[in-house]
Amino acid sequence: MISNDTAMTAHLLRRAGFGASREELEQYMAMGYDGAVEALLNPSDAGNMPDDLIRRYHVEQSELRDLAGSAAYWMYRMISTSAPMEEKTALFWHGLFATGYAKLNQARSLLNQVEMFRRSGLGSFEDLLVELSKDPAMIVWLDNNENHGTAINENYGRELLELFSMGIGNYTEDDIKECARAFTGWTLGNAEYMSIRAAKDSIWPYGRIAWHFDYREEDHDDGEKTFLGETGRFNGEDIIRIIVKQESTARFVATRLFQFFAADEISEAGEKTIQDMMATYFSSGYQVRDMLRTLFQSDYFKSEEARFARVKGPVEMVVGAIRMAGNYQNPALGIEKVSNTMLYMGQGLLQPPTVEGWHEGSEWIDSGALVERVNFAAKELSDVRSPGVRSIIDRLQAGSDDGVLDPEDLADGCLDLLGPIGVSDETRSVLVEYATRKGDLDLNGHQPGDEAEQRVGNMLRLVAATREYQLA
Amino acid sequence: MSTQTKSPGIALDYVKTIGIVNNGFNGRGFANPYDIVVDGDKRIFILNRCDPARADAIRVGICTLDDEYLGEFGKGNGTGDGQFIWAVAMALDSQNRLHITDEHSNRVTSYSLSGDYLSHWGKAGSGDGELNGPAGIAFDSSDNVFVVDQHNSRVQKFTVDGKFIANWGSFGSGDGQFNLPWGAAVDNYDNVYVADWRNDRIQKFDNDGEFLAALGSSGDGEGQFMRPTSVAVDPEGFIYVADWGNERVQVLGPDGSFQLILKGEATTSKWGEEYLASNPEEKAERDISNLIPALPAHLNTPYHISSQTEPYFWGPVSVSLDHEGRLYVVETNRHRFQVYQKR
Repeated sequence: MISNDTAMTAHLLRRAGFGASREELEQYMAMGYDGAVEALLNPSDAGNMPDDLIRRYHVEQSELRDLAGSAAYWMYRMISTSAPMEEKTALFWHGLFATGYAKLNQARSLLNQVEMFRRSGLGSFEDLLVELSKDPAMIVWLDNNENHGTAINENYGRELLELFSMGIGNYTEDDIKECARAFTGWTLGNAEYMSIRAAKDSIWPYGRIAWHFDYREEDHDDGEKTFLGETGRFNGEDIIRIIVKQESTARFVATRLFQFFAADEISEAGEKTIQDMMATYFSSGYQVRDMLRTLFQSDYFKSEEARFARVKGPVEMVVGAIRMAGNYQNPALGIEKVSNTMLYMGQGLLQPPTVEGWHEGSEWIDSGALVERVNFAAKELSDVRSPGVRSIIDRLQAGSDDGVLDPEDLADGCLDLLGPIGVSDETRSVLVEYATRKGDLDLNGHQPGDEAEQRVGNMLRLVAATREYQLA
Repeated sequence: MSTQTKSPGIALDYVKTIGIVNNGFNGRGFANPYDIVVDGDKRIFILNRCDPARADAIRVGICTLDDEYLGEFGKGNGTGDGQFIWAVAMALDSQNRLHITDEHSNRVTSYSLSGDYLSHWGKAGSGDGELNGPAGIAFDSSDNVFVVDQHNSRVQKFTVDGKFIANWGSFGSGDGQFNLPWGAAVDNYDNVYVADWRNDRIQKFDNDGEFLAALGSSGDGEGQFMRPTSVAVDPEGFIYVADWGNERVQVLGPDGSFQLILKGEATTSKWGEEYLASNPEEKAERDISNLIPALPAHLNTPYHISSQTEPYFWGPVSVSLDHEGRLYVVETNRHRFQVYQKR
């Protein structure tokens, strides 16, 4: 019998992380639910694979010149971190403030942006928007290096209001122009040289030169501006100070957090939770961490309604399966192929399709992507040589009577240890029927890769192919 | 770009930079170079480790100090004869055969300097003579070869054709112990030096593996190291260390005392100049850019600074010497090497 504590903590770890092996789940359960929420929201030590090891064996992840190596580098972080919320938060902001490789030809600066999300993504939304506005990848992505005191470029100003904070309908075209004026002079070092290199995809003579923020006072329009009804000689920070005060901004941030960390669809109870998160936004001084605490502690989040209410994104799917299987804990050949797999599923890390990011929820699933998803998870979870799968086999044996599992034990045990995953009666009966074909499973004296272990691998493969496994 | 003690016993003058990133599968330029050797004819051999996208072109490139690119050899990526997966380091024996380690295939492969595959040896394992991640390689005056056996935390001594002679070391941080060791060198007295990578030090042994000294400690101060990858020793006993994690090279005296630090001062190579000459718009902006910028605090680490500062060493993975007092520093992430002349 699966306890509600187990199911609820597993639910939390699917949202605030990438799911959890039973060992990881037990560590969090020992803290109690409240303790687990705090541990996830306040990571003290990410404990991920050290950079020096990655750089030694993967030259492409030391140089970070190309997209493939850079995406793989982030994959290692997500796979090996002991602070999954930090990576999940970075992934959330990467999707919301979507910045892509295609225009930049500068993967390192994208990873620097991701590092900024780790550093600031759970703090003040006001500080985060300031950091975002100073981020060189964003500056080039939305042309703020072309936004001059003598001739504005509205692109960043427009998207800051429309896609990154208030949402359309809450400001005027004049507000956009004034916003753009305030961000004139916010550019990157050696902007003209770097722009040429980006446009030509030049790597010569010695590979990429990374980017950093530069403020050019002489290119900043210091004149008086009127923005959302306030007037002054505003600079970028002033504009952001005004943006974050707006109720529309609170609703925008709360809604996007809700849809990423709670449910694709917003029910009546979900709407009440969003309003509570908006109240926290203002009472906490725009703190994202506090908004997420409100979410994770809400009755809605803890209810059955919220469980399995999201379709796993491809990155969540891939990272979750690898973490469960316990693979790629040390630098190894093939990691870049794994990050390519996510691209085939529709979510290439560091390459969102547009500034609007990915279309999530049920749009993740089409027939081609579903085949990729099922094949990948099934392959990872059915390999009985993987340490995580070996641990599942050992736990199945330990939890059985004398090492023997009947077909129902085998199906239920695998569903439990991969989640616990709640499945429909119909799905469960299919799993049990499959297990019944070979009768009881005797795990006594099992040896790596023998037929008994392979039967467990086959059941895990089947669970990975269920509809329910696609949901978080 | 150097700092030094008040009265260093050595001076090094920057000479030039050779290299350009090679984005293809052959031809002039380098692809994530990992080691360098200069032969008696002053030909320079560069081991291109290559990233996964260009793995099929793992190769040794050849050039001269006068920027002439002479060609390359290799048989690509894999485990067939003459092929490599993760090539690490190379060394010349007395017969001018080039021996190259592969930390993934667990073997040592030999080529002639004209590019002919000769042989390979090595067997995966932890027994005597077996290898688990061979990295640094160096010959003594009798043509015995020392191979750093990184995952077995030891150094192994073989004959030139791979017959086991001896080994020493175990995992740990005590004298004679190792933690993922990498580079190796032999001095004029046939002593053996090992870059004890994750212990942030250089260890010195006699030819039979008797521990003699441990040089350095963890840190970014003078005489301290952060993940040293490579070591070379000149005829006077000066010790050159690729202080990879600190993105610099340090020189120690024969007694291990700190002498000086090089941070790198690369200029545009001849090959780079030729590229820029055919791209005048890019050159014009480059010429007025500040390539040694002041950086925000969150990017103020050696790695980030070097990623943004083109003249500095970035990924200085190997140091090597020729017979005329020149130091060659290979930079993986900048696809080039910088040359310094001992005064």
